[in-house]
Amino acid sequence: MTLNWSGKRRWIALVLVLASLVVMFNWPPVVPVIQLPGEIYPAGEVFGLPITNTFVGSMVVWIVILLLIRVVSGRRPRDGGEVPRGGFYNFFEMAFEGLYGFIGGIAPERYLGPIFKMFMTIFILVLLSNWLHLIPGIDSIGFLHPHVHKVEGHYELLDGFDLATLGGVHYLNGQCPWVSPEAVATMSDEALQARADAGCLSGIPAAEAADDHADEAADDDHGEEIDYHHLEPGDPAVPWVILPYVRVPSTDLNMTLAFALIAVVMIQVMGFRALGISYLTKFFNFSTLFKSPLGGIDVAVGLLELIGEMAKILSFAFRLLGSMFAGSILLFVISFLLPVIAPWPVFLLEFFVGLIQAIVFGLLTAIFMSLATVSHHHDEEHHEEAAAGAH
Amino acid sequence: MEEAVVVAGKAIGAGLAMVGALGGGIGIGLAVGGAVQGMARNPDHTGTIQTNMILGVAFAEAVAIYALVVSLIILFVLS
Repeated sequence: MTLNWSGKRRWIALVLVLASLVVMFNWPPVVPVIQLPGEIYPAGEVFGLPITNTFVGSMVVWIVILLLIRVVSGRRPRDGGEVPRGGFYNFFEMAFEGLYGFIGGIAPERYLGPIFKMFMTIFILVLLSNWLHLIPGIDSIGFLHPHVHKVEGHYELLDGFDLATLGGVHYLNGQCPWVSPEAVATMSDEALQARADAGCLSGIPAAEAADDHADEAADDDHGEEIDYHHLEPGDPAVPWVILPYVRVPSTDLNMTLAFALIAVVMIQVMGFRALGISYLTKFFNFSTLFKSPLGGIDVAVGLLELIGEMAKILSFAFRLLGSMFAGSILLFVISFLLPVIAPWPVFLLEFFVGLIQAIVFGLLTAIFMSLATVSHHHDEEHHEEAAAGAH
Repeated sequence: MEEAVVVAGKAIGAGLAMVGALGGGIGIGLAVGGAVQGMARNPDHTGTIQTNMILGVAFAEAVAIYALVVSLIILFVLS
C-alpha cells in the first residue's frame, strides 16, 4: 500500500491535530468531576420525576434507532428483487444475516424467531448506547453549575473551577482551580500574583479585591446570603463544574437494571412458552423426593436454580454498568492527562468494548432463552438417542 | 487531617477491591487459551467453540467487573 499524500482529508486531519495542540497548551484540560448516578437537569421535573442526563442520552439513542428504521426500511427492495440498493442498506442486510446465522447456531430451530428478535433488540439498543460516548462533546459540553452540596440545610462548597469567557461562551478555566476566601489567607503572595496574572477570578491578591472580600466575608458571617440556584455564571464566590447535557445511558444503573429485568423476565416467558407449566419443575422439583434416596438433592438444585435466576439480573446489570462506566472514566482521565494523541487508541478500545458488551448481553440472553426451552428430561433423552445413534 | 484519612482509606479500599480482577484475568486467559488450542486442532468446530468461549469469558469477566463496580462505588459514591 502506498501513501497518497495528495489526499485532502489527510491535510485536514493534520491541521486538526495541530489546532488541538494549540488549544491544549492555551486552554489546559479540566479535572473531570465523576459521579455515578446520572446528573439531574436543573430545569425541573416531569410527572414528579427528575430528568437525568443519562435519560436524555437514551432519548438520543431512541431517536437514532427510529431514524435508522426509517432510512433502512425505506431502502428495502419491495419487488423481491436482489439488486443491491447501495452500501448503507447492504451493510444492514449483511449484519442481519450474519447475526441470524450466529444465533441460528445456538437457538433451537423452533424458537429461532422470537429468540433472534429479542437478541437483536437488546443488541442494537445496547450497542448504540455504548457507542454514544465515542462522540466528542457528549460528556464535556453541558450546563455550568455551581458545585455545592447541601448538608443539613446549609451549603458546602466542593472542588471546582473559575469560569472564563470566550466570544460570549463560558467555559471552565483549567488554569484556575477555585480557592475559597479562607484558603486565600494561607497562600503566598507569589501564588496569588500568579493566579491574578493567569486571569483567575477567585484567589487573587487581596489588595485588588479588598472591597469584594469584605463583602464576601460579611456574607459568610450571615450565612444564607448567597442564592446558589440563581447565580450569575462566572461568580467567583462559588466553584463551578460542568453538568453534561447528554451522558452515556449505559453508565446509569437504572438503564442497565431495566434491560437486565426485561431480559430475565423474557427468559422465563420463553421457558413457559416452550414447556408450559412444567417449566416450573426446573425450580421446584419434588418428583423424585420420595422415589429416590437422593431426591432431596434435586429439590436443593431446583432452589439453587431459582437463586441463579436472581443472580442473572445482578450479573447482567453490573457487567454492562461496570465496563461502560469504567470506559467513560478512562476516556475522561486520558483526555485530561494528554488530550491530543493518547485518547486515540483508547477510543478504538472503547469502540470494541462497546461492541463486545452488546454482543455478550444479547448472546447471554439468547443462550439462557435457548436453555429455558429445553426441559431437563428431554435433554437426557436426546443424549441417549445421540449415544444410541453413535453406536 | 480527618479528610485525608478518609481519602486514604477510600483509595486503599478501592485498590484492594481490584485484587478481584486477578481471578477474572486468569480465568479469561485459561478459557481463551483452551479455545484457541481447540480451534487450531479442530478448525471445523470454530463456530461452536467461539460461542462457548465468549460465554465462559463473559462469566469470568463478570467477576472481575463486580470487583471494578465495588471499587468504583467506594471511590465515587461513598461519601
